[in-house]
Amino acid sequence: MPQRIEVTLKEQLLDAEGQSLCVKAKNYFDIDLHRVRTIHIVTIDADLTPDQTETIRTEIFTNPVTQVSSLRPLDVDFDWIIWVGFRPGVRDNPGATAVEAVEDLLRSPLKPGEAIYTSKRYCLKGNGISRRDAEKIAGELLANDIIQQWAVYDRSQWDPATGIGFIIPKVILDHHPEVATLSIDSDDTLTRLSEERSLSLNPNDIPTIRSYFLKPEVQRQRRQVSLSDPTDVELEYLSQARSDHCNHNTFGGRFTYRDLESGKTETIDSLFKTYIQGPTLELKARKEWVVSVLWDNAGVGRFDRDHNYVITGETHNSPSNMEAYGGAITGIVGIYRDPMGTGKGSRLIMGSYGYCVGPRDYDGDLQPRLHPKRLLDGVIEGVRDGGNKSGIPTPFGQVMFHPGYLGKCLVFVTALGIMPAEINGEPSDQKTILPGDLAVMCGGRVGKDGIHGVTASSATFSANTPAGHVQIGDPYTQKKMHDFLIDARDEGLIRFITDNGGGGLSSSVGESALFSNGCDIQLDKVPLKYDGLDQWEIWISESQERMTVAIDPDHLHRFMALSRQHEVESTVIGTYTDSGKIHITYNGATCAYVDLDLLTSAFPQWEFEAVWRPPALRGLTEPVVGVPEDFAGLILDMLARPNVCSKEWVCRQYDHEVQGTSVIKPLVGAARDVPSDAAVIRPVLTSERGLVFSQALIPMYSAIDAYHMTTCTIDEAVRRAIAVGGDPDHLGGVDNFCWPSVQYDADRNPDGKHKAAGLVRSCRALKTMCMAYGIPLLSGKDSMYVDGHLPGRYGESHKVSALETLQFSVAGVIEDVGQCLTMDAKVPGDLVYVVGLTRNELGGSEYYELFGELGLNVPVVDPDGFAVCYRLMAEAVRKGLLASCHGIYRGGLAVHLALVAMAGETGLAVNLKRVPSDGIDRDDTLLFSESAGRFIVTVAPENRDAFDRLMAGQTAACVGRVTRTPQLKIDGMHGKCIAELTVEQMKSAWKGPFGDLI
Amino acid sequence: MSTKPNVLVLTGFGLNCDLETAYAFELAGAAATRAHINTVIAGDVSLDDFQILAFGGGFSWGDDHGAGVIQALRLKTNIGDRLLDFVAAQKLIVGICNGFQTLVNLGLLPGIDGDYTRRSVALTYNDCGNFRDQWVRTRINPDSPCIFTRGIDALDLPVRHGEGKFYAEDETLQALKDNGQIPMQYAMPDGRPAAGAFPHNPNGSLADIAGICDPTGRIFGLMPHPEAYNHVTNHPDWTRQAEKQKRAGRIDRSKMGAGIRIFENAVTYLGC
Repeated sequence: MPQRIEVTLKEQLLDAEGQSLCVKAKNYFDIDLHRVRTIHIVTIDADLTPDQTETIRTEIFTNPVTQVSSLRPLDVDFDWIIWVGFRPGVRDNPGATAVEAVEDLLRSPLKPGEAIYTSKRYCLKGNGISRRDAEKIAGELLANDIIQQWAVYDRSQWDPATGIGFIIPKVILDHHPEVATLSIDSDDTLTRLSEERSLSLNPNDIPTIRSYFLKPEVQRQRRQVSLSDPTDVELEYLSQARSDHCNHNTFGGRFTYRDLESGKTETIDSLFKTYIQGPTLELKARKEWVVSVLWDNAGVGRFDRDHNYVITGETHNSPSNMEAYGGAITGIVGIYRDPMGTGKGSRLIMGSYGYCVGPRDYDGDLQPRLHPKRLLDGVIEGVRDGGNKSGIPTPFGQVMFHPGYLGKCLVFVTALGIMPAEINGEPSDQKTILPGDLAVMCGGRVGKDGIHGVTASSATFSANTPAGHVQIGDPYTQKKMHDFLIDARDEGLIRFITDNGGGGLSSSVGESALFSNGCDIQLDKVPLKYDGLDQWEIWISESQERMTVAIDPDHLHRFMALSRQHEVESTVIGTYTDSGKIHITYNGATCAYVDLDLLTSAFPQWEFEAVWRPPALRGLTEPVVGVPEDFAGLILDMLARPNVCSKEWVCRQYDHEVQGTSVIKPLVGAARDVPSDAAVIRPVLTSERGLVFSQALIPMYSAIDAYHMTTCTIDEAVRRAIAVGGDPDHLGGVDNFCWPSVQYDADRNPDGKHKAAGLVRSCRALKTMCMAYGIPLLSGKDSMYVDGHLPGRYGESHKVSALETLQFSVAGVIEDVGQCLTMDAKVPGDLVYVVGLTRNELGGSEYYELFGELGLNVPVVDPDGFAVCYRLMAEAVRKGLLASCHGIYRGGLAVHLALVAMAGETGLAVNLKRVPSDGIDRDDTLLFSESAGRFIVTVAPENRDAFDRLMAGQTAACVGRVTRTPQLKIDGMHGKCIAELTVEQMKSAWKGPFGDLI
Repeated sequence: MSTKPNVLVLTGFGLNCDLETAYAFELAGAAATRAHINTVIAGDVSLDDFQILAFGGGFSWGDDHGAGVIQALRLKTNIGDRLLDFVAAQKLIVGICNGFQTLVNLGLLPGIDGDYTRRSVALTYNDCGNFRDQWVRTRINPDSPCIFTRGIDALDLPVRHGEGKFYAEDETLQALKDNGQIPMQYAMPDGRPAAGAFPHNPNGSLADIAGICDPTGRIFGLMPHPEAYNHVTNHPDWTRQAEKQKRAGRIDRSKMGAGIRIFENAVTYLGC
């Protein structure tokens, strides 16, 4: 008999959750709620005595100081009640920890099949709230249909005795697992099966797969294990392994690139090999600090003699687009497993985020699945809970708005770890597997989560079918696993470790088996969340919070003891062999028997046609805009642009101080409210060394040329690191490409050739920049197909493609964190310098965007020239010559002078005539051009000569002074003052759009 | 034999500030041991060997049913008597953030009238409705018996929590004031009481309470994180301060953050 406990805050206590719902209802829908009280519901589906339930209620679920509770529905006043609970199979984290608490208190485990489920009901008070209003709040603010179910009650429907009743979202599959054998009598049959089963096999791969299974030698061997035609386990495995996600077919593809201006055609055999692997290997040979790149879950660099740092980044776009919170938390918790699975395992030391979404105030005709406002809220909260609950600081991140992301949002997540340089005398970055080693799965259990990603349809839900394709990350389970694995590593118990991400066991075991050259896996040993999963589902499920570890059988006893101590589930699921085969059994019967080298041989390369029509040939020109008269008003409006304005509300939700390592925080300045150029942490507490980290995203330039988008993005990321004291000789990069589909199709992707050309050009720029700046690519990932089909006003649909986007991350070691600096002007009387040349480069700028223009003159990077300048800037920092340093990025000089003044809460008096420029005779061009390679620095008068000497030969000029009166005063090129703005005015504009958000 | 006091820092189940808390105690002159809660419950690690017990920050059991609630339950159910013995032996206990939440749920704080089992105060959801990371200025009550805050009059520290609003009934609050059990309160930048003003009082705590102690001053719980101010560069103003000092010709070579003073007081008290 299930029991239900309802808990709420005492009447006199503020219900902060209810309060924020009131605020959201007002902001989102203009619905006036008078009051909302939140009731937490714990439904216990277990055979307990009334005494036991009462003990649980009082001892666990009721704080006597703040809460009241009851086994019957609480009598809280309402006009409407909204109940929200999870769908079956959706990860209920509070439900799981409730089980732990109950078992602890009762000192006995729940029986198999028993469980605890959590849900909430909201008691809404308000005049004139209609059912439609209540349903809107339920469906569009509180619940997401994909993972949650909800109900709305008015007074007449609510029975105070039964309340919500007993809703048990238990998964009941009622299915006997079976292996299916699939016919491959022709290519057509396999194509049809691929479609029926959503295998997404590439048409080019189908003959290769068939010919393998038709080989006489293969057939003979298969007969010995009682197999004939391929099984579903095998085909699902091949489908996963050959997917673009796992295999990077686009970056490994063959591109035919034609430039319509020069008329030349060339062929690029693998973007990855040509533009990423090649330069990285060359730089690795030159940079002794590069420890491990290109093969493991993340790249490894040397931090100091005794430590290595680990870095990687990826995106979690499609799931976040469907279920923002679940997608984002799964994304951040997932990327944290990559450093955990690098080398013999590293401890996590920081994370960062990058969100690209549609305009927050979008009110056009297109109907994205989630409105950007709601989507962004969910994504922010997902990464917040994922990072904060993992105990990992999140000191850097960026948010970008553009209508192109209405089709699909981008959620970038980056993770850094640290490990001792040696474990038991062996290099920590190296690992291998010996035949006979045990394959162990650690962490969470396997369910129908993440099978075939998001292709499953929400239409097929019934009351007890699991919401299979959307997952909710569980940082608590993962943190326990993290702590356990670090202890196991330090005891020398781990031979090999990798994470279970995309493709689940099929990917982690399939890839690790290459190290010993084979494996025998017993799928029946894999612990499941519920019965009834087919064998192929167990093999490819992407259920979260799992790592695959190879251990020496001699270490099994100790490994399991440590696992029990940490209350982490670990299970031996098989043995690594040197048979050359992946051999999978279920209750003794073979269900897969595939040669390991099948995947590395014989599959055809994907092919792409790329055609580049340069911007001028596409008809792009500079707009004809006269010189503005009201510069003060213009600057204030620029400061209030969504991609420029303050986003403090996001940073403050992220714990950026945990681990006690913070050196340069995400928000700096006198009032600690202006974003820093970059973050610095001191990951080894006993050391004065630091790690600098920065990222950049400037996808707008892709509308002109993805080549320059790429050079500018990489330049900005590097410049950000230099601005806080980064060492240009020790910077590593991470490239994260997010591109719309590049496969041409006359109907479905008519501009595919152009997007393919953009990708080729972007990769070329990546190579050029990395070689010029000396940045090895420590890690990188690509995410293709950033397109969405959105319904419009008349029932038609529109394909919306994202801007061609590269997020570039930079990390590097700083010798002494005491030399780091921040971007705020510090002392009145200091000199203000602009370093670097401003050119007429307004193409793709924020300024043009303000007027709805694109332009043509996109900023052009001079990589070799800038590299020299950055070395000198780094020397200036080392010599202590700078009081502040700030790069000039989106919005140009005007915006960034304003930020320097706002951060210092001081004035700046600047004369534009003295700003180094080339071919500019207009104040607006000088103020808003986004030319790369520039800094604003402030210098104490006594350091002026030294700085001038150091920068001799470089483009740098003193353009004004820091003043005591907190006012930005700009004298124009033609002598007269063109703008005077107080810090207060500027902050008010800059904080205007999102300043009320907390 | 080392004369350093031994500190036990608990780990496991989603706790996450153990490394820097142990480091902070080491900087202060103690010998710190990090141990998983289950090893203490199993008796592999004995409380008898320690003079200081530290409940650190984190999200124990995900904080899913009220911050620190399940941790308190696990400890009370399994080693509740050993904890009371530890208190009775006049040893020191500090609870930081999640640790503070755990101490109040265990009843080790506020310990009014020597009752170390009663839950009479709570740390509940921030009034701002969200998790928040910021630095606060705290003022220290010189009349409090609190061991950990001796000789300090103000301290800047980071807060990072979603459930830090101190709440108690009027009567309890009055008793805390009367007993000097409110050693640490949120303040304005100039040192005046925050008087509830957000964000200086970041969570809506009654009486601006940032930390309380038991009547003996040996048990201290606080929401701000002194262990995260272990180095001068942790402070948000350090680059501004450093530049001003440089101009004044002063060079401060000390790298230690002011938060360490909290831990030093514990070590000093133990006479080491």
